[in-house]
Amino acid sequence: MEMSSILFYLLAAATLFFGFRTITVANPIFSALNLALTMITLAGIFFMLDAYFIAGVQLAVYAGAVMVLFVMVLMLFDLSGEARAFSRGMMSGILKVGGVSLFGIIVIATIMGSFSNILVIDSGEAAAGQALVQPTTRDLAVVLFSRYLLAFELLGLLLLVVAVGVVAVSRIKGGTHARD
Amino acid sequence: MGTDILEISINFAKMVAIFLLMVQLVPLLVWVERRGSALIQNRLGPNRVGPLGLTQLLADAVKFLTKEEFVPAKSHRFLFYLAPIVALLPAAVAFNAIPLSHPIEVEAFEWLGHTWGPYTFLFQGYEIGIGIVFVLGVSSLAAYALLLAGWASDNKYSLIGALRASAQMISYELALGLSIVGILLVFNTFSFSEMVSQQVGPLSFMFFGQEVSIPFLPNWGIFFQPLGAILLLAAVFAETNRLPFDLPEAEAELVAGYHTEYGGIKMNMFYIGEYGHMLVASALMVTFYFGGYHIPFITPDQINEFFSGRGHGATQASLLTALVLHLSFFAKIAVFLWVFVWVRWTLPRFRYDQLMDLGWKTMLPWALANTIITAILVLMMRSSWS
Repeated sequence: MEMSSILFYLLAAATLFFGFRTITVANPIFSALNLALTMITLAGIFFMLDAYFIAGVQLAVYAGAVMVLFVMVLMLFDLSGEARAFSRGMMSGILKVGGVSLFGIIVIATIMGSFSNILVIDSGEAAAGQALVQPTTRDLAVVLFSRYLLAFELLGLLLLVVAVGVVAVSRIKGGTHARD
Repeated sequence: MGTDILEISINFAKMVAIFLLMVQLVPLLVWVERRGSALIQNRLGPNRVGPLGLTQLLADAVKFLTKEEFVPAKSHRFLFYLAPIVALLPAAVAFNAIPLSHPIEVEAFEWLGHTWGPYTFLFQGYEIGIGIVFVLGVSSLAAYALLLAGWASDNKYSLIGALRASAQMISYELALGLSIVGILLVFNTFSFSEMVSQQVGPLSFMFFGQEVSIPFLPNWGIFFQPLGAILLLAAVFAETNRLPFDLPEAEAELVAGYHTEYGGIKMNMFYIGEYGHMLVASALMVTFYFGGYHIPFITPDQINEFFSGRGHGATQASLLTALVLHLSFFAKIAVFLWVFVWVRWTLPRFRYDQLMDLGWKTMLPWALANTIITAILVLMMRSSWS
């Protein structure tokens, strides 16, 4: 086996392991930390695919900023009550059954799809996508600002809406940033 | 990594050497910090152990290593031990990605009955095309060390320190990221090596499509992005958690903040992490705004020719050139490290609301304005106007 494929299997195993731990650990802080590790190993996989920019952004934005915020907020609260509420009771039972059945649907669809070519992308389109996405950041930017410009701008608008909404909600509900 | 066993092993050794370089610089910096603070506060500082008090560092190291191993009874043991290690890693990984000198060209040579080479060894741990994005990504992980330390200690002071630290780091990461967009636009690249190679020779730029050259100034980034340089310097102060931004460990309010419960070598590892971040920050400032490892007005080729003219072989001349340029890089870094020490013992600590106001209401708008104006100017200056 080549060096790169050994590295890939190691990273993939680590990603799966940390992802699994994220949903099985009872303590929310450990869960969030496992999710951060999942992000970091995922960034490693992006590195191996020569998608350096995505890997760097994955580290800086998800592992570095978003998960730090999550962990910070979790540390602010005493979560033993929540841990109990989500480990037994009717609501959590329904959620568990729902989660397992959704996962089952995904697994079945993947198996069916691999037999019947439903999920396989048209090979011509896949080749076109490969030709467009080059490892350099310059090409990524060109594709982002030409072919996918509308989607990109709409995503930006969505984020703006969320930001404005958060400010509005925090001002209505009182607290340190209340209007009066 | 390399094509044969010799190149691979040298590249590995290089990474370890750069990590050790970082760790070994810490005691020296601690000495500079203590003597420097004494100089600023008009006292003597540690001067009894060895010449100028230099072997104080050795005594301190022995003290740290032989101290009692202490873990709070109600702490999370695993995270408590993990936090100091996490504090050390990001700085080391980031420092390895910064070019410390000119690449060394090694000609083909005979050794152990085998012809080796020719090789080109970069004077850095590893070259990554996206350079700065990688360094930002990795150093943003440093917040976890403080969070883990604060939470695992199960101590109110530690936790408040950790929460302050993470809020501060997230806030200033934004200003940090935006302050360097301007210089990225000017250099038109993410890669450190390309940035450094663009800063050779006298100051020259495009002025409305015409090339202008100013022979008495070096071609450094600071002349293109003075505001960006100031913003970056302020933001890295916040990221390294040093005065005036040391609210995570404000001793008058929080005992020692996130590392209240740590002692001995574990606390020392937090220090190594902090000084490592200072090194990375200084190296970034030098690479972006002060010409990297280049000596003003002298190109690496001229140095190489100088050494070849003295009867050195091509490999030897390349090695000597790299060493000279490495010294130039460290001379520049030393200036910024001294600025870190100087500022720490001169300015008082911010109040928390002042800190957040500075980050969000002052630095962020200025960095945004800098980005937009730079983008417009770069576009205007580089297009042809005839």
